[in-house]
Amino acid sequence: MVSNKVKLQHLFLRAGFGESPARIKSLESNSIDSVVDSLFTDSAISKDLDYISDPLHGRDDEEISSAKIVLLILKSRKQLMELNLKWLDQMSSTKAVLREKMTFFWHNHFATSAPFGYPMQNQNNMFRKNALGKFSDLLKLVAKDPSMIIYLNNQQNTKDAPNENFAREVMELFTLGEGHYTEKDIKEAARAFTGWKVDKTGRYEFNDRKHDFGEKEFFGQKGNFNGEEILSIILKEKQTASFIVKKIWREFVSEVEDQNLISTLADQFYQSDYSIADLLKTIYKSDWFYDEKYIGCKISSPTELLVRYKRLIHAKFKTDKTVFDIQKVLGQMLFFPPNVAGWKGGKNWIDSASLTLRLNLANVIIKGEGLNIKPKPEFEDMMEIMPAKSTYNDIEYDFSQVIEPFKNQKDILLTEVILDSFIQCKKDKINKNLLMPSGTGITETDKISTIIMNLMLLPEFQLI
Amino acid sequence: MFGKNNRREFIKQSALASTALFIRDFLKSIALNPPGSDSNQKIPIVIQLAGGNDGLNTVVPYTNDLYYKGRPDLGLTKDSIISLNDSTGLNSSLQGLADLYNESHLTIINSVGYPNPNRSHFRSTDIWQSASDANQYLNTGWVGRVLDSNCPANCSKPWHALEIDDTLSLALKGEQVKGIAFRHPGSLQGSVANPIVRGAVAGFKENQDDKSNLQFLYKSLAETAECAEYIRQHSNKYKSTKAYPQHEFGNQMKIVAELINSGCESKIYYVSLSGFDTHVLQRNQQDKHLKIYSDAVKSLTEDLKATDRFKDTLILTFSEFGRRVAQNSGKGTDHGTANVVFVAGGNLKKPGFYNVNPNLEKLESGDLIHQIDFRNVYSTVLDKWLGADADKVLGKNFERLGFL
Repeated sequence: MVSNKVKLQHLFLRAGFGESPARIKSLESNSIDSVVDSLFTDSAISKDLDYISDPLHGRDDEEISSAKIVLLILKSRKQLMELNLKWLDQMSSTKAVLREKMTFFWHNHFATSAPFGYPMQNQNNMFRKNALGKFSDLLKLVAKDPSMIIYLNNQQNTKDAPNENFAREVMELFTLGEGHYTEKDIKEAARAFTGWKVDKTGRYEFNDRKHDFGEKEFFGQKGNFNGEEILSIILKEKQTASFIVKKIWREFVSEVEDQNLISTLADQFYQSDYSIADLLKTIYKSDWFYDEKYIGCKISSPTELLVRYKRLIHAKFKTDKTVFDIQKVLGQMLFFPPNVAGWKGGKNWIDSASLTLRLNLANVIIKGEGLNIKPKPEFEDMMEIMPAKSTYNDIEYDFSQVIEPFKNQKDILLTEVILDSFIQCKKDKINKNLLMPSGTGITETDKISTIIMNLMLLPEFQLI
Repeated sequence: MFGKNNRREFIKQSALASTALFIRDFLKSIALNPPGSDSNQKIPIVIQLAGGNDGLNTVVPYTNDLYYKGRPDLGLTKDSIISLNDSTGLNSSLQGLADLYNESHLTIINSVGYPNPNRSHFRSTDIWQSASDANQYLNTGWVGRVLDSNCPANCSKPWHALEIDDTLSLALKGEQVKGIAFRHPGSLQGSVANPIVRGAVAGFKENQDDKSNLQFLYKSLAETAECAEYIRQHSNKYKSTKAYPQHEFGNQMKIVAELINSGCESKIYYVSLSGFDTHVLQRNQQDKHLKIYSDAVKSLTEDLKATDRFKDTLILTFSEFGRRVAQNSGKGTDHGTANVVFVAGGNLKKPGFYNVNPNLEKLESGDLIHQIDFRNVYSTVLDKWLGADADKVLGKNFERLGFL
C-alpha cells in the first residue's frame, strides 16, 4: 500500500523538482486530485526569464539595418552560460514548478545547441509560455524560432538550393519519429520551408523570393503547401500524438512502457487537439501513476539533482564555474544540449565519473570537500569567460528548514522517518547504521542534519 | 551549532566508519593477474587534438603555391619546417614525430574526414567518437561498442578502456559496458572512499534478474570500486624516469606509459589535448601545443621501448576537423573539414606517407574534400590490431587500409 505521503512526494518529484518535507507534511491530508489541481493553479502564470536585454533596444534604424547587429545578437555564449544559472535559480525558487518542469522538457525535446544569447532566452520564454498549452501551437512557433532556424540551417534553405536539415529533424525528432515518413516527404517538406529565415534584426521573416511556391506531394497529398500546411498535415497524423505521449511517458512515468496506457493517452491527446495540460492532468490523476513500480524508478537528471539540492538545503554556489564544472561532469549543461536529439537520459547519465560525483555531491556542497575536478577544457571561444580556478569552499547551504519536521521524533524511528521523506525506491540495501552519527552528546538538530546529509550520499537518493 | 555552514562539526561527526573491512573484501573479490601476464596484448592509444588542429600547418605542402596563396601570413616556409621529402615537411614543433618518421614508426594519412562534414566542435567530436554518419545520433562510442561486443557471455571490464580525464568521452561509452575515466590513478580511489559510498559498495549483490535502475546504480558503483582497486594495483609497478612536458597532457601520457608498463590490461587508452581552436594569431598557439603533443608522444614511445611494449602499441592521433585552407583576417584559421591523421607504432606495414598530399585545387566552399573516411582508419585498427569485429562495431563494412 503506497502512503499518501509517498504519493505526494512522487507527484512533486515528477511534476516538479521535489518538495520540502514540511510542505509535504502540510499537504498530507489533501486528496491527490486537489493537489494536482493546485499544481496547475500555481503554474497559471508564466514568468519570463528576462536576464538578457534586447540588444536592439535604443538603437536607431541605421544601426539595426547594418549586418553587424546580427553578430551582436548571436555571438553571446557568455550570456547564455549566465542564463543557465538564472534558469537554475528560477527552477529552484518558483512556485510554478509544473510549468518550469515542462519548459525543461521542451528545452530537451526541441534541443537547440546554438550559442545565441537573446534569441535563446526568447525561445526559452516561448517554451515556458506554451509549456502547458497546445503542442500544435508549440510546434508552429518552434518552426519560426530564430535560434532553431539558424541551428538547423533553414537560413540556407532556398528555392534554388533546398536544405533538408530542419525538414528531416522536425519529423524524425520533433513529431513522428524515425520510420514514419519517406525521404521524399523530407524533400517535399524542405521545399515548403524555403524562405523561412531570420532577418538582420534576429527576428523571423518570410522571404517570398526564396520560397518555393510550386506544387508539393507530401504524405500522399498534392498541393502548393507552405510550411504551416506541412506542419498541419504532420499534426493530423496520429503517430505524432503517439510519439509525443511516449516521450512524455518515458520522462514522467517510467522507462518501461505500458503500450495500452500509452495508446489510450495518445487517443486523448490527439482528440484534445494536443492539449498538454489535459494530458498531464490525466496522468497525474490516474491511480496507475502511483503504482509502486513507477515510484522511485527514475534516475534523476543532473538538473533535477542540482535543483533538488537547491530546494532542500538551499545550496548556493558563489562561483559560477563550480556549477558549470558540476554540470559538465554530470553531463547536462542547460542551453548546451549535445545535439538536436537532446539529452538521452536514463542510464545514459551514468558512468564512473558522473556517478561518483553524483554520490559525493553532498560532500562537495556540505563539507566543502573539493573533488578537484577539471572537465575537459573548452574550445578557445569559451575560455575567456572562465575564471582559471574553481574552489568548492564557497558553497553555502542551510539545513534549518529541512530538519524542522523531524524534531521530537523517537530516536528509534528517526532514521526510518527521515529516509521515508527522501528515498522513494526500495530501501532494503541501505545500511541504516552507517547513516547515524557516531559519538555521544550530539544535539537533535545535528543528528537529523547528519542523517540527511548521509542519505544524500546513497545511490537511492539518485532515484526519483 | 549545526545551522549553517558548520563544516568542521560535520566532518567530526560523520567520522570514518570502518573502511578497512570493505577494502579487505575488495581485495578478495578481485582475481589478481600478475603484471605482464598478457604482454602481447595489442594496445591502441587514441589522442584527440581538440579544437580542430590545422592540418596544413602540421604537415606542410611546402612546394604548393596554392598553400602560400591562401596563407600569406601563416604559410610556413621550407626553411622553417622539418623537411620529410621533396614536397612535404613537418611543423618544426614536431621533432619527436619526425624522429618516429625516420625510424619508420610513423604513418601519415592525409585528407581524412567524412561526407557532409559538420563544423561544430561538439557535433563533429561526437561524429568521430561515435563513428556515426553526419546525420546519425548514436549514444555509444566505437570503443564502447568494442567493450560491448562480448556481452553478455564474456563482458569486458570497464578498465579495458581507460580515459585519462575527469569526464568520460562518448567514444568509450557502450550500451552494456562503459570505460573508466580518471585523472590520476589515486583520484578514482578517492571517489569511492567515503564511508557511506563504501557501505553501498558492500551492499551490492549480483542479481541478473534485477533490471531496476537501483540495481544498475549499485552495479555501476561496485564496478567503479573494483576498477579503483585494479588500477591501484596496476599503476605503480613501473615509474617513468623520462622527461614529459610540464603540462597536463604530459602527465596524462606519463600515466598511460606507467599503466601499460605496470601490466594494466587495458585494451585501449584515450587522451585529449585542447588548444587547437586557433581563430586568431594561430602561429604561436598551434606551435606551442604541437610541441607539447609531440614531446609527450616521444617520451611515451621511449618508455614503451624500454619495456619492449612499443611493438604492441599504436598511437592514433586525430582532430575533430581540420581548418580552412585560407587564413582569416586575424592571422588565424576557421573551422574546416578533412584533416591529417597520425598513426605511430613499432609495427607498421606502411610507414611514411600513406597517401598523397591534400588537393588544394579542388575545394568545397574553401575546404578540403576528404579522401579517406575516418571509419576506414577505425575498421583497420579494430580488425587488424584489436582483432575485433569491425563491421559489427561500425555498423557496416568499411574497407581496411594497408597501414597495418
